Amino acid sequence: MSTQAVADNYAVKLGRNRLGLWLFIFSDMFVFVGLFVARMVLLGPNRPELNQMLGLAVTVLLLMSSFFMNRAEVEMAHGNRPAFLRNTFITMTLGVLFLLGVVGVEWQIAPFGPADGAQGAVFYSMTGFHAFHVLTGVIFLYIVWNNGRRGAYSAEKHWGVEACAVYWHFVDVVWMFFYVGLYLMGSPV
Amino acid sequence: MIHFIIVSVLVVISTILLGLFLTNAPLLPVQASMQAETVDWLFGIHWWFIAFFFSLIVVFMLYSVVVFRRRKGERGDGKYITGSHRLEIVWTIVPIAIVIWMAVIGASTLSDVERRDPQAITVDVFASQWVWRFEYEVPVQGEGGETILTAITSDTLVLPNHRQVVLRLHSEDVIHSFFVPEFRLKQDVLPGGEAFVRELRVTPKEEGTFKVRCAEICGQLHYAMQASVSVVPQAEFDAWLQEQSGECNLGDAECGQRWAQTYGCLACHSITGETVLGPTWLGLYGSEVPLDDGSTVTADEEYIHTSIVDPNAQIVAGFPSGVMPQDFAEKLTEEQVQQIIAFIMSLQ
Amino acid sequence: MRFFSTSLFRGLVAQILATFVGMAFAMAIRVVVGLPVSSADPELQKHITEVIVIPGVIIGAIGFMVGVGIFKDWFKWARGKPTSDNHDPDPAKPNWMRYFSVDYDHKVIGIQYGVTSLLLLGIGGSLAMLFRTELAQSGISFLSRGSIFEAILSKPWEVLAGQQYSPEHLFNTMMSLHGIVMIASILLGVGALSNYLVPLLIGARDMAFPRLNSFAFWINVPGALILVSSLFFGGFDTGWVGYPPLSLRAPLGMQMFLIGVYLVGLSSISGAINVIVTIFTMRAKGMTMFKMPIFAWAALATAFIQFTATQLIGLSFQLVMLERLLGMKFFDATAGGDPILYQHLFWFYSHPAVYVFILPGLGIISELLPVFSRKPLFGYRWVAFSSLGIALVGFFVWAHHMFASGMSPYLRLPFMYATLLVAVPTGVKFFSWVGTLWEAKLTFPTPMLFVLGSIVIFLLGGVTGPPLGTIATDLHLHDTYFVVGHFHNTMFGGYIFPFFAAIYYWFPKITGRMYNEKLGKLHFWMMWIGFMVLTLGMFYVGLLGMRRRVVDYDADLGFDPTHLIMTIAGFAIFTSVLIGLYNIVRSARRGAEAKGNVWNSRSPEWQIPSPAPLHNYAQPFEVVGEPYDYGLPGSIYVNMAPAPSGPPGAE
Ligand code: HEA
Ligand code: HEA
Ligand code: HEC
Ligand code: CUA
Ligand SMILES: [Cu+2]
Repeated sequence: MSTQAVADNYAVKLGRNRLGLWLFIFSDMFVFVGLFVARMVLLGPNRPELNQMLGLAVTVLLLMSSFFMNRAEVEMAHGNRPAFLRNTFITMTLGVLFLLGVVGVEWQIAPFGPADGAQGAVFYSMTGFHAFHVLTGVIFLYIVWNNGRRGAYSAEKHWGVEACAVYWHFVDVVWMFFYVGLYLMGSPV
Repeated sequence: MIHFIIVSVLVVISTILLGLFLTNAPLLPVQASMQAETVDWLFGIHWWFIAFFFSLIVVFMLYSVVVFRRRKGERGDGKYITGSHRLEIVWTIVPIAIVIWMAVIGASTLSDVERRDPQAITVDVFASQWVWRFEYEVPVQGEGGETILTAITSDTLVLPNHRQVVLRLHSEDVIHSFFVPEFRLKQDVLPGGEAFVRELRVTPKEEGTFKVRCAEICGQLHYAMQASVSVVPQAEFDAWLQEQSGECNLGDAECGQRWAQTYGCLACHSITGETVLGPTWLGLYGSEVPLDDGSTVTADEEYIHTSIVDPNAQIVAGFPSGVMPQDFAEKLTEEQVQQIIAFIMSLQ
Repeated sequence: MRFFSTSLFRGLVAQILATFVGMAFAMAIRVVVGLPVSSADPELQKHITEVIVIPGVIIGAIGFMVGVGIFKDWFKWARGKPTSDNHDPDPAKPNWMRYFSVDYDHKVIGIQYGVTSLLLLGIGGSLAMLFRTELAQSGISFLSRGSIFEAILSKPWEVLAGQQYSPEHLFNTMMSLHGIVMIASILLGVGALSNYLVPLLIGARDMAFPRLNSFAFWINVPGALILVSSLFFGGFDTGWVGYPPLSLRAPLGMQMFLIGVYLVGLSSISGAINVIVTIFTMRAKGMTMFKMPIFAWAALATAFIQFTATQLIGLSFQLVMLERLLGMKFFDATAGGDPILYQHLFWFYSHPAVYVFILPGLGIISELLPVFSRKPLFGYRWVAFSSLGIALVGFFVWAHHMFASGMSPYLRLPFMYATLLVAVPTGVKFFSWVGTLWEAKLTFPTPMLFVLGSIVIFLLGGVTGPPLGTIATDLHLHDTYFVVGHFHNTMFGGYIFPFFAAIYYWFPKITGRMYNEKLGKLHFWMMWIGFMVLTLGMFYVGLLGMRRRVVDYDADLGFDPTHLIMTIAGFAIFTSVLIGLYNIVRSARRGAEAKGNVWNSRSPEWQIPSPAPLHNYAQPFEVVGEPYDYGLPGSIYVNMAPAPSGPPGAE
């Protein structure tokens, strides 16, 4: 592989970007693993008492969003821009709803504040760190959607979309674990 | 080949010399506990490995530096050797064997150090910024002749010789660490109540006085957080306990002196006129005390009283506030405070 | 004055403004939600200042990054504007300006890293000199009340952090700051090495992600500034490990420490990702993994550690910040928290981190030894794999820092086993080095002296590891000067000495001039001897029970003479480094021309003119041989043809 060609060859660049993105995600994963470990150490067999319905609802929202995200990517790969835009927009909306559900509602109705013992610390830190990632994801989605409207992507060249999708799925998977850790595992304190 | 023989000889010689030096030089403090024996034995092993591996590498290196250096006017490169899997395997396997064995003796020495003696007596150690306090439980005769347990506090850790003691370590604020070099033992002291109490077992084997020093940085006066440990014969120890546990039926000043002892005042306040962490008590009573706000007060009983129960109310000029423990109001009974004041007044 | 148009200057201005904006913002919010913005109660006042200052500091850091213009392209992209891939510097600018501006050339970034790293070394070292002076004899004299330190610091401490001056607190602060600043310095130095060398060695025209690369450098600047500023925000007296609950009570300076280190960590992570991608995807034609110059392997192993473990120190620091700011109870044992948890999170990074410090250094040693022995590197593959081995095992030993911490007892044995195991791959390196020296044709210019010196020192640091690794002995040694001796040896042997070796070795490549050999040798001997004296003293007092992190020690322990000697030795090291820097600065301007293959090395970067041109290699070269086949007649490593200059390969 000659270094000169590397400088401006989309395929090669794509390869690098993919590798870079996955490395980043692997790295980011450690934060969430760390938080989960903290939860195990501090709460062990217990779990914060939370609104199960709400928890389930936001989880479903996020799962659905991942589905639409995937649709969006596939559509773009087939060069179907309107469908791509539609799906991206839906993903974005679901993401926002998720945020409202967690930060806007759950945080308000939770029977404990951040400063209330271990469960407060665990709950607000886990949801907080994750919510922050969702927020960045939503911003990312908006940018991709916006650039998409301006026709920045094509069936061949849509790395931006792909990156956004990977990131979004990652944030989603993380929540699956956090949902179990916060809502299902152990018995409420 | 000849090179190898020479170097090997040199390595052996240097190993022996270095090893003998390390094992004989006075590198460790006196050995004052049974545990220390085990620890020092393990040190002995380590010295020899250090001696060997250090010699091995360094001698080979120096030899090459001397023998294989480029002579004047010499050209060309060194011998073309890219490596040897056999050698590499050897010097992977051998160290593996060594470290495994090391780990094994490491484990056995650890279990030695932690061996439990059912006869062990218990002492509760309380660490707080920046004082040590030791509590003993002693059986005493109640009115009805029945024996009841009373707790006594002391600022020195008094231990009977040749008797294992279980130190139950409590911290009242941050993490501290119990360390007596002569005992070769160390254990962090954690805050957070029963769940975080850690135990340390030590069996003194040398009479004498040592120092327990806090080994985990715990803030401003970490360096000064120390108390004395005195190892005495069993009989003397029992006598001491009885004497401490008895009601104080001496004069006020004398009792005050004892409380000042046991509650660690004297760790910071000298009665000899020198300044330790706090102002000396010698001649304190009636003197004009400059405060850090510039004003001065006469050290009457009332002033001293507040200084004890609420140290930060008035800060003596040139001394930090918040250094003197704030909780003597709870720890001391009003009577004890009065007696301490009497003691301070007696220091003219 | 052109300086005012550099990114650096713009960044600093932006940071200052943004900091105040941030603070105003925080204050405004408090007013809106009806929280007090000031209080008579000093404790509460401290907290209020903190929750107002911290957002300011964070926004300030972001402000800096915006100010230097690092985000320009990303913003463009976000607004759907096209971004160009031509990162070449604006020819209108004078060359020196590139070093103070956002520049995408890996060599420039490498230098930027290096100089910043030296500055931090200077700060950290100067702090060491100050507290060493205090330690020179028992009793508190040098820092005591009424000293100029009180004159300088008591006001800022009082105003910014409600902290009153005391020599003890100042000592603790300087000691802790020394530790962490030095570590930051190492991390930047590592960045300098891998950024400057990796593309050159593997024949790439630049790093994989130039923008990310310069982001990774620039984030260090606000990071370092904030970190050092903690000295004025009341300092922090927790040591560089910042264990809670103490770190929950420490003054505002604690937060500066946390934020500063966090930013530096961010740099590590992004830098590491860049290195990995570069090495995996940008190697020259015919350069298989096992034909890379050995340093590339070291850089790779280092990057693996950095981009994973670093996240956890970041996390643990964030949790402490949250507990301080919002009272979330992670570590406060009295309210359901667990102080030990922090120690696990912290050491999960900070142990692997110590291998981050040394792996590049050891790579340098393995890289230079063959050149100066005119002999192949003994057991290339084994050396390469030992780096990975160290990195891997290094992940399973962290709790050896916690043998005395009161963690669950059953954790201790496995960690003891793992800890001792690290000796094996490290040993492989040492033995292979000896193998390389054997029957060689050694020459001893300054770089080689530093290499040999570092081997001895690192060995000393290494062999003092096992006594710390076996629990029984560690119970005596933990938190004594023995540990201090141990890690100064490992860090000097594994980083500082190799780093200077690298500076001297590649100096002609970087500047096209030769350094002064005499001064170089003087630098080495002064530093080596001084250092040996310093740390042998540390081991000695440590074994006798001298605790770490104490401003004073009982005179009747009889440590005074040793400490005095150690202090003197410390100053010797300090001066030697000054000499070294003088040498570098002077030779860079007046040194003799050194254009060609100075060390007559085989590796590619020496086959092109010095200083290396923009984008390194005019034509991509092809690897046709082994990197270290010195002594094999007629063999060459790289085929530069059609080369613009330089003879093909080494003879
Ligand atoms: C800079 C890097 C660095 C390196 C490379 C090392 C290497 C090692 N370290 Fe060190 N260490 C630190 C930096 C480093 N350390 C720091 C900064 C601290 C203090 C943190 C703090 O509290 O502030 C510390 C503290 C520390 C402790 C905790 C001490 C305490 O606080 O109680 C321990 C305990 O096990 C330890 C062990 C080891 C071991 C076993 C190695 C091994 O990797 C050493 C391996 C090398 C050799 C053994 C020599 C060469 C090998 C051979 C010649 C082969 C044959 C040898 C044998 C079979 C023995 N280190
Ligand atoms: C790379 C890491 C590094 C380096 C190089 C050093 C260098 C030195 N260190 Fe240390 N040190 C640590 C890392 C390091 N240290 C760490 C991590 C701790 C633990 C902190 C803690 O316990 O929390 C520690 C702690 C520590 C202690 C224990 C403090 C205590 O526990 O109370 C001591 C005591 O002697 C000490 C001494 C020294 C001395 C004398 C030097 C000398 O070698 C310094 C010599 C000076 C220099 C090498 C700099 C010279 C540079 C210039 C002159 C450049 C100036 C020009 C420009 C501005 C560009 N250090
Ligand atoms: C950890 C150190 C420490 C301990 C333990 C300590 N003090 Fe103090 N004490 C100080 C310091 C420092 C001052 C000066 C600052 C101040 O006035 O608060 C002080 C001041 C005083 C004063 C006022 C002295 C003067 O010159 O005006 C009295 C009285 C006093 N302490 C009594 C006690 C008593 C009684 C005890 C034990 C029950 C005790 N102290 C334990 C550190 C200590
Ligand atoms: Cu208590 Cu240090
Ligand atoms: Cu370690």
